[in-house]
Amino acid sequence: MTQTTDTPMVELKGVKKRFGDLEVLKGIDLRVDRGRIISIIGPSGSGKSTLLRSVNNLEVIDEGSILLDGMQVNRPDLKGLAYERHINHIRQNMGMVFQHFNLFPHLSTLENVTLAPRKLKGMNASGARELGMELLERVGLADKAQAYPSSLSGGQKQRVAIARALAMQPKVMLFDEATSALDPELVEEVNLVMKGLAEEHMTMLIVTHEMTFARDVSDWAMFMDGGVVVEANTPENLFSHPDQERTQHFLRKHLGAQA
Amino acid sequence: MEFDFSPVIDYLPTLLQGVGVTLLIGLAVTVMSVIGGQIVAVISLYTRKVVSWPLRFFIWLFMTTPLLLQLYFLYFGIGEWILIPAIVVGVLGLGFHYMAYNADIFIATIRSVSSGQYEASRSLGFGHLATLFYVILPQAFYRALPQLSNNMIIMVKDISVLSAIGIGEMVYVSQYAISVTFRPFEFYITIAVIYYLINLMMEAGQSWIERRAAYRR
Ligand SMILES: Nc1ncnc2c1ncn2[C@@H]1O[C@H](COP(=O)(O)OP(=O)(O)O)[C@@H](O)[C@H]1O
Ligand SMILES: [Mg+2]
Repeated sequence: MTQTTDTPMVELKGVKKRFGDLEVLKGIDLRVDRGRIISIIGPSGSGKSTLLRSVNNLEVIDEGSILLDGMQVNRPDLKGLAYERHINHIRQNMGMVFQHFNLFPHLSTLENVTLAPRKLKGMNASGARELGMELLERVGLADKAQAYPSSLSGGQKQRVAIARALAMQPKVMLFDEATSALDPELVEEVNLVMKGLAEEHMTMLIVTHEMTFARDVSDWAMFMDGGVVVEANTPENLFSHPDQERTQHFLRKHLGAQA
Repeated sequence: MEFDFSPVIDYLPTLLQGVGVTLLIGLAVTVMSVIGGQIVAVISLYTRKVVSWPLRFFIWLFMTTPLLLQLYFLYFGIGEWILIPAIVVGVLGLGFHYMAYNADIFIATIRSVSSGQYEASRSLGFGHLATLFYVILPQAFYRALPQLSNNMIIMVKDISVLSAIGIGEMVYVSQYAISVTFRPFEFYITIAVIYYLINLMMEAGQSWIERRAAYRR
């Protein structure tokens, strides 16, 4: 089901999430139009990961609603197998990239990329191989197709993880601190791949602690603290003229001389 | 005393038959206990307590009682009601015994696969079972290999216990040959050497598998 171009690609309305007594998301509203890139910044523990994981339903929200291209993601009305089927379908339309890569160590690089299209879309071996090589080419790792994750650098692993997420041709890509676990010299190669996706107008939600990258790549930037969106604006405005005291304080700490 | 190995030569076909029986039983028990061990591990980890607790009890029972007792129980105990052929009892008995040991290993290695692996697979759109099948179990299997192959090396020696219920494996056939030729030392030494060679081969296999598994972890 693809909606008209007016339908937001991702939409969150009044999203609340609790872990026990701790309310981690306190009513989040967000609209991401297709082809748009949203950066989410904020201090550790502010709920950024929880927000991203909720979009993918890795966390089940307590209140509010999340829509992907007009389809309702959270479905408290569905139970058991019907719920499984629904959520698997939703997730096949989203790519998620994790801080710690989470590549499958028992599979080669190419197999990591082709596993989902082969098993979930029933793609045949040669078709999947072609797609896999194309994606590895795109992240600059075609020569590592037969290598296993254990032999790759962190930057290479993350690029494979991005290729793996792209293999299901997702409508939106979710990045949760994709470069936080990397040595500084490996950050740029991953950023470049993400910039490439931006140029191809992939819809993206990016949680990052890299302010410069966020400012360069995104159309819209959000500052979260304590489970709320404190401030959201164009990156130019948010990073250069933040309205809120908390945002200013956070940026002073994280941008330093750059600001 | 003088050693005379000519009776061993005479009975070589019989001995080799015993070796064949040992190897076939070893293969059957390996297949049964590795596949069964994974199934038992998955059930005991992922099902409700009414299913998993009896299973854990079963694992515990097989791990805390002697193999010989288990075999006698199956052969003579159950045999009171239904006569099961000795070879079936032997394979099942050893199979269950090592299934319990292997399940114990698999439970630990399945648990050791990080939740990030599960989430990565689910985020691609794989369901719970598909994730188990394509992502968790293969990794748990590679991690289990060193201990699994240790267990199988020990198991091959335990096959000799099956002589107690009359299965014609290596020790049993040599007992028979000794009862006819009265040359225990020669036969026992020969059997020991064959065991040693089997062990060597299994250790070579183990390190071959280990080399292949190492970079997939
Ligand atoms: N599974 C969980 N159980 C309990 N508390 C959690 C869980 N996941 C996250 N939290 C808590 O929720 C808050 C927000 O976490 P998170 O979304 O990871 O923040 P961020 O990604 O912005 O650092 C933190 O206080 C964290 O301790
Ligand atoms: Mg986080």
